[in-house]
Amino acid sequence: MSEPRSLQHLLDQRSDLWRGQRRPPAAVAASGRAELDAWLPDGGWPRGRLVELLPEYLGCGELELLLPLLADQTRHGQPVLLIAPPLVPCPQRLHRAGIALDRLVVVHGPDDALWAAEQALKSGVCGSIVTWHPRGRVDPRPIRRLQLAARASDAPAFVCYRAGQSPAPSLSALRLGLAPGPQLSLLRGDGPSRTLHLGRANVIELAARRRQTAPLS
Amino acid sequence: MSKTSRSSLWAGLYCPGLPLSAVWDHQPGPAIAVHEHQRGQARIFQAGQRAHQHGVRPGMSLSQALAVLPQLQSRPRSAAMEQRALEQIALAAYGHSHQVVLAPPDSVLLEIAGSRRLRGGLRPLLEELVDTLNQQGLRVRCGSATVPAAARLLARTNQHAHSPEHLQRRLDALPIEALGLPTRQAQAITGCGLRRLGELIQMRAPERARRFGSALNAELDQLYGRRPTPLAGWQPPERYRQRLELPVPSDRSEALLFAANRALDHLGGWLEVRDRALTGLHIRLEREDSGNPIVLHLSLARPGFDRTRLLEMLALKLERIRLPAAIAALVLKAETTLEYRPPQADLWDNRNRSDAWPALLDRLRARLGEDGINGIAAHADHRPERAWRWVPPGTTTPCTETRPRPTWLLPAPRPCCRADFRLEDGPERIEAGWWDGHDCKRDYWVARDRHGRKVWIFHEHQPRSGWFLHGLFS
Repeated sequence: MSEPRSLQHLLDQRSDLWRGQRRPPAAVAASGRAELDAWLPDGGWPRGRLVELLPEYLGCGELELLLPLLADQTRHGQPVLLIAPPLVPCPQRLHRAGIALDRLVVVHGPDDALWAAEQALKSGVCGSIVTWHPRGRVDPRPIRRLQLAARASDAPAFVCYRAGQSPAPSLSALRLGLAPGPQLSLLRGDGPSRTLHLGRANVIELAARRRQTAPLS
Repeated sequence: MSKTSRSSLWAGLYCPGLPLSAVWDHQPGPAIAVHEHQRGQARIFQAGQRAHQHGVRPGMSLSQALAVLPQLQSRPRSAAMEQRALEQIALAAYGHSHQVVLAPPDSVLLEIAGSRRLRGGLRPLLEELVDTLNQQGLRVRCGSATVPAAARLLARTNQHAHSPEHLQRRLDALPIEALGLPTRQAQAITGCGLRRLGELIQMRAPERARRFGSALNAELDQLYGRRPTPLAGWQPPERYRQRLELPVPSDRSEALLFAANRALDHLGGWLEVRDRALTGLHIRLEREDSGNPIVLHLSLARPGFDRTRLLEMLALKLERIRLPAAIAALVLKAETTLEYRPPQADLWDNRNRSDAWPALLDRLRARLGEDGINGIAAHADHRPERAWRWVPPGTTTPCTETRPRPTWLLPAPRPCCRADFRLEDGPERIEAGWWDGHDCKRDYWVARDRHGRKVWIFHEHQPRSGWFLHGLFS
């Protein structure tokens, strides 16, 4: 029996052998959408890691995408931070998505957004933190600091860039592009680049919810 | 000897450098001294260690002292600040005993028989007390005796006497000078050939009164416990305010933080003694050029006292401001104080997580300001732009709106062009506000813009007429 064949034989026989290409599965938090979980490389949002969102325009679904996760965390008493959001998050919509508003904190002031995010991550007491990057050039150093700080946190951390910003390649776990639809594309992360349309799922989900909330008659 | 004096035990704390420590906050550094005015001339009253090494002596005139040591820094003696320093000692003592007495100008007495079991014995208790005061820049000597007046005297020489017999032996052995009597009286006594207290006490009382005055008898009776010492118990102040001068006026934040650290030591002691919790701290920075002072305010999300956190918050505040001039003094005022419950550490986690969240809020507020962080709440109003409020984080408010709402709201509706949108769902008619003068009549639509984003727009009929963009469905 030649060497390569015996190796192949071994690999075929033993499924528990670790093979270089595959990473051990990372700890993840469920995104709250089965379709999205299946699409994401690790099967959910990676805990203690930085996820970068690059929406094509403001309001491409960047917050909507995260609402189920935030709802789950706030319901478990974990505080959630929205740092320097570009517009006012609508409390009625957040409430409807199941978020406990008393656990949600909005941090104002785009100048200090990245500093505030770093403090929050280091404290290790928060659920997810969603930070909107200040306008202008993207400095890779504070992003790198956030990646390090995110390790202290048990939850995934999100940085959302402004439309048109192109951050330098980074070591974040995931980088997702967002287009209206919403349509997701995997710009960085394990696996081949791919896209996902969430639009139809959203409609179905909304319809299901309407049915649930409709009064019995 | 009365029975009460047999069972009680007093400690004396004697601070020989009080006049110096009171006006100068920390000893190491420049050569320092205090002077007082005698017959129109400034004379050195007390000199710091470095000044002493260079030949500055008490009694020298200030100009003489400056000739000896040109870089000497001297300040006038301040009775008010000496009193404050004495109260600082009393405050530290109050943490170890419920009965504290001021013995001006330089001593504090505390009853310690009741605290005997408090910290594993008297010696550790007193050592801890002396250490605490040393850290606050007040070097004290400590003595103890069964009688308060004797404890005060023995503190000067670091002696301890825990039984009346022992005390008598100690007192008898003391030289007459140790009594600290006025010079003429002391000279009269030593002139009679009496060297030690033991010899003086053997003299008959009427004889002593005739020769040296009746006041001496009363003093000796108090020392030997034959007559009770009149004592006025000291109580810590109800409100906290402290002024701390910087050794050298400075506009560097490190120097201010160093001084603040010292001040917080004191505040921590005060809070502990009074079972209080800090909820806010006003810090006034007094400028050297007597311009308008700078006022900083730190508020705590959760009452308590965490010095590291307070210093960190202060550092953040100082980072944000530019000091217009050198700062000469800090004034600390503890703003609101309630009953203090020490924070409880989590059972499974050494890190005090229950405290970490308020700590984070405090840190963010310190840098971003009071309005820098908010919660968001729904408000019962049909007009969407009035249906939300910024509230303090953690506020719970009911939310009754059931109609679909966008994820993002524009801070105010923005005029837009109908042709840019494709209407998808609607209209939702909103008519409200006729009662408060902001009445409106609108039809809301869910629409798509050119990029395919789902948006929330409305057509207003009154008061304005036209199309407006109000939200994004994200």
